[in-house]
Amino acid sequence: MSNTINASQVKKMFLAGASNLNAKKEWINELNVFPVPDGDTGTNMTMTIMSAAKDVQSLSDDVDMATLCKNIYSGAMRGARGNSGVILSQLLRGFTKGCRDYSELDAVIIAAAFEKAVETAYKAVMKPKEGTILTVAKGASEKASELAKEGATDLGPFFEEIIKYADEVLAKTPEMLPVLKQAGVVDSGGQGLVQVLKGALDFYQGRDVDYKVDEAAATPVSKKQVAAELETDIKFGYCTEFIVLLSKPLNIKQEMDFKAFLESIGDSIVMVADDEICKVHVHSNDPGLAIQRALMYGQLSNMKIDNMRMEHREKLFHENESGEYAEIETEINGAAEATPTYSAGDDIPLKDGTVSSQAAAEEPEVPTEHKEMGFVAVCAGDGLAEIFRGLGVDYVIEGGQTMNPSTADIYDAACKVNADTVFVLPNNKNIILAANQAKVMMEDNDSDKKIVVIPTKTVPQGITAAINFIPDIPAEDNEAAMIDAIGTVKTGEVTYAVRDTMIDDVTIKQGDYMGIGDSGILGVGSSIDDVTAMMIEKIADDSTELISLYYGSDINEDEANVLSDRISEKFPKCDVEVQYGGQPIYYYIVSAE
Amino acid sequence: MSKVAIITDTNSGIMPADGEALGIIVIPTPFMIDGVEYLEGVNLTQEWFFQKLADGADVSTSQPSPGNLLELWDKVLKEYDEIVYIPLSSGLSSSCQTATMLASDDYEGKAFVVNNQRISVTMRQSVLDAIMLRDAGMSGKEIKDKLEEVKFESSIYIMLDTLYYLKKGGRITPAAAALGTLLKLKPVLQIQGEKLDAFAKARTANQGKNIMINAMMSDIENRFGGLDAKDVHLAGAYTYDLDKANEFKSEVEAAFPGFDMHLDPLSLVVSCHIGPGALAIACSRKIHI
Repeated sequence: MSNTINASQVKKMFLAGASNLNAKKEWINELNVFPVPDGDTGTNMTMTIMSAAKDVQSLSDDVDMATLCKNIYSGAMRGARGNSGVILSQLLRGFTKGCRDYSELDAVIIAAAFEKAVETAYKAVMKPKEGTILTVAKGASEKASELAKEGATDLGPFFEEIIKYADEVLAKTPEMLPVLKQAGVVDSGGQGLVQVLKGALDFYQGRDVDYKVDEAAATPVSKKQVAAELETDIKFGYCTEFIVLLSKPLNIKQEMDFKAFLESIGDSIVMVADDEICKVHVHSNDPGLAIQRALMYGQLSNMKIDNMRMEHREKLFHENESGEYAEIETEINGAAEATPTYSAGDDIPLKDGTVSSQAAAEEPEVPTEHKEMGFVAVCAGDGLAEIFRGLGVDYVIEGGQTMNPSTADIYDAACKVNADTVFVLPNNKNIILAANQAKVMMEDNDSDKKIVVIPTKTVPQGITAAINFIPDIPAEDNEAAMIDAIGTVKTGEVTYAVRDTMIDDVTIKQGDYMGIGDSGILGVGSSIDDVTAMMIEKIADDSTELISLYYGSDINEDEANVLSDRISEKFPKCDVEVQYGGQPIYYYIVSAE
Repeated sequence: MSKVAIITDTNSGIMPADGEALGIIVIPTPFMIDGVEYLEGVNLTQEWFFQKLADGADVSTSQPSPGNLLELWDKVLKEYDEIVYIPLSSGLSSSCQTATMLASDDYEGKAFVVNNQRISVTMRQSVLDAIMLRDAGMSGKEIKDKLEEVKFESSIYIMLDTLYYLKKGGRITPAAAALGTLLKLKPVLQIQGEKLDAFAKARTANQGKNIMINAMMSDIENRFGGLDAKDVHLAGAYTYDLDKANEFKSEVEAAFPGFDMHLDPLSLVVSCHIGPGALAIACSRKIHI
């Protein structure tokens, strides 16, 4: 029995919570209302919390509360993906704000931290919806306050009561959101939150908990596959590692430049910097270049260069097993945010003792011309990526439904665009929040650059926005014009159901094809073409001038043309345009405008 | 008071026959079509021209030859004291430059070449303005100065039905050439005095028309200081498709209450670069004496 917990306990409870969420993620994925074949809530929340867990795990056990809190929230913020992931990161941010000033937490402090968490998360969502993770968090917070007020001091029962009540609220979410009720599930984000809390409680109660972080969980499957492929085909032969003892802390620009340079000479880059040191790991065919460049920033230590082509395969395999590649991805993404910013004019001492100005560290590659406005778009599929590039998008993040990019992915992409204002087209309703968070991150870093999120929920909306961009008019006017324009396009997407369910009074069987529109299910059936045609009839009307079909990677051009002819016959007054999208999972993405 | 003759070319949309009624002289623009020279408004009609264009004929334009121009000036100066010559915008053709050079030689004080960056309906308006100024008793130099004073106060937006002719032609800036590589787009171009340039893009005709109407409203509001119908001429132009143009005219007039939109076929010099089915909206500041 105890009335307080210290930082070391909070650390372990947090890791146990993260670990429990990770263990349950597949189960949570299955709670998605739409039975679409995507890695959704469970994966997104897990990747968000694992990003924080890895930072936290590296802290020593006698860590102070403030450092622990900072690591929890900054890690979660960077790793945040998907709506529930972003909300979870905001909950953690609020909660840690409420804890960071104390060395030990009691029931009153914890209750206040819960309250802060809920307040922060609600603020992050433009239109908070009840029956979601927010409601569950609010329930937990209300219970905590109530218990604290009643004078609860023993934390064991205190936690138990809170979680019991959170579970009750979770069970009621189908009553609050009809869509959950019909699908016969509780809210998946809420379930994720409950699992985090339960994991933390398990540890507190001394149950045998594995709170070691499974690092692979923080990395999407696709990236693990990439890492696996590297085993057989080594593109860059020398594994190069060293630590730079920084003569001055790197500012953000220097850090990005250094990273860009490393990317230009190799891959598998890890670069983590704090004020005193910068740890570098790169696979390159010319390790000398990395070393020479690093000398601009300070003395080197702990240098190690291995010839990977001559190493035993077991060793490489081992590296993969231990999740080194996984770590690489996340840490790169976070590096920019984790480091404090310094003024742009900081001088860099060179090895010969002279001092070079900032210009010496400029990007070695040919810099792109600076523009007033640039674009980052998120989409899956090479065809769609090409379309976006053709429309002038500077940076395309491969992502979308199967793999939601994190806040840090979006932030990094925006940093790479050489423009004052970077418009971000999330093209998926599950990515808009992460994009908004990237915008806040940019503001927090006092960057001269500004992110403007055009809240495009679908690829066709993103295409419409990009088409309506006018380089000659101010960014604010473009923002207004693009937001206005995305309202003129209607979208439908055709995919298959991964399980039996019922949505909008439509019974859906596993394996059925489904047409999903902006407002719900528009067609279900056993033929892709029939379902697509059915869906188009619902999104097109008399005023429709153009129907565009973007066909996915599982459809060939001939099949798309057959469908296009059928649609043309049905809508003789409309133009029907067929484009290769190459997107996975969605056979067709259709727009009517 | 000196007697002033006004000369323009068919890029103003005014054909030689109509010029007589207006009391001006109109030089037909020469076209080479499959190696044969034709004169716009004389033996070259809109309909036949677009037929040829659709057939893939080799169409090229040229400026009126300096020889012919001088011959005309000499002839006119026998009857008039001064000439005001209003050629196609110097941004789109070198005829203005040629004429200016010719005028500076032996015609100083006699021929005044107006360089005011106009084409089609905005050029037509300049010609009408010149007639008005002449009738008010202004000299050739005064008319030239007055017209050039407002040279940048005009604006044209053109929506193309297809990118095909634009790509084929080449009289476009690189920005326009890069338009719409994969998707079928309806580009909206602008003429602000200088060259034909890319302005925006649309996927459908209605979207394109809205872009043009909004851009024009913003120009009138911001560049022309929110003037009303008594200070701004609004005009429309089209290539080939009159029905579509009339529909557009009524849409524009609904968007600009109080304005009356003059509608002309777009002169063929522009048409051969953008093809049939294009719609344009134009405005210019009214000249008050």
